[in-house]
Amino acid sequence: MKFQPRAPREGINVSDEHPLKEFSVLVVGLAVAFALVAVVVVFFVDLAVPLIPAEAEAKALSSWIPDGLELKSGEEAEALQDLTRRLAAHWPDCPYQFRTGVFPSDDPNAMALPGGLILVSTALLKGIESENELAAVLGHEIGHFQQRDHLRLFGRGVVLQVLMAVTLGQGGGLTLGDYVSSLTLNSFGREQEIQADSFGLSLVQAEYGHVNGSWRFFDRLGAEDTRIDRLATYLATHPASADRSERLRRLAVEKGWSLEGPLTDWD
Amino acid sequence: MSSDTLSLLMPLLSTFILLLVTYFIGSWLERRHFTSIREREAALRKFPVLTFETLPNTWHVASSDLVSGSVVISLDYFKRFVAALRSLVGGRIKTYEPLLDRARREAVLRMTEEAKMTGFDAVINVRLETSRLASSRRDGKGIAGVEMLAFGTGIRFAKPNAG
Repeated sequence: MKFQPRAPREGINVSDEHPLKEFSVLVVGLAVAFALVAVVVVFFVDLAVPLIPAEAEAKALSSWIPDGLELKSGEEAEALQDLTRRLAAHWPDCPYQFRTGVFPSDDPNAMALPGGLILVSTALLKGIESENELAAVLGHEIGHFQQRDHLRLFGRGVVLQVLMAVTLGQGGGLTLGDYVSSLTLNSFGREQEIQADSFGLSLVQAEYGHVNGSWRFFDRLGAEDTRIDRLATYLATHPASADRSERLRRLAVEKGWSLEGPLTDWD
Repeated sequence: MSSDTLSLLMPLLSTFILLLVTYFIGSWLERRHFTSIREREAALRKFPVLTFETLPNTWHVASSDLVSGSVVISLDYFKRFVAALRSLVGGRIKTYEPLLDRARREAVLRMTEEAKMTGFDAVINVRLETSRLASSRRDGKGIAGVEMLAFGTGIRFAKPNAG
């Protein structure tokens, strides 16, 4: 036997595929697969929501609040609750016992959550100049309940988040998961927003006898919109504030609601 | 841009930047390591590193001792990210292959260098062992890196013997 010196052979234990190729194939492939699953989930949730009676939902979730949120008591909270009750009284056969809460955020925002929970951001309350403006916002959220959008969106969010936890839970992609699910949680479709707006405005008309002030809040938001924000609102499918106030005004004229009337003070 | 949009984009952006940076640094270090490995392998080419368990009876050995070489290597963020994606669908984790190849060859090289420095003429009964170093994060579930250990018996011939 003869010892023959040689260098180790290469290219046996290491694939010569470029790492970036593997990376892009995986990222694109998984993104497509995930999008497909998301579409299917959204489809089935939308099918299932009308099958759940509103009364059953209102009853089962009547005291549910999201983790980490505390419903504060106090003068402002009571006034908010009172205004919501007054508006909801104009919705005949309303199955919900509405509860309201305030959450801290720098963006003026409001949301409708299952079980008749309406949350308003601190920035929104700060930006309100009359009760009528706040009534328009609350009426809009009540409109989402009337169409059961809140349950649809919440259902999607929950199912997608579970899916995300199962697939990406152990991996490094959690930030991506958070991103997608919060995007899904935050956006109603444009059509749904318009519907909620008109239902909300009808409640405001019934409460005050006029709709004056309803769009002033959106007008002010529109004035603050930057160009980037406009692009972002297109992407987020939320109607841009300026278009929205214009549309509300047109709706009021169509329905013959009074555009003039005394504004009620808020705080 | 609203702060909500920004707070959504920030983690995505930082992940992307981290991937980009770790990919470039990681592949630069890998290329450099492979260059060094090839040079040293070429220099030690004539030193016999064998897997025999027992000596051929024509060999006359004056002395022998344990020689070993070990190396600990860690994953970079890019490799770990690709492997995490890969673990969803299965298949070969190709980004780990050069990493382990480097570890095996480096460990054998270090063992050979030790044997040569000690004055041995060859190493027989060479074995490779690997062990995983658990990460201190995430309840020790993650992987901090792997240790590759090469060990064998260094031998010095009693008289000139080419085998």
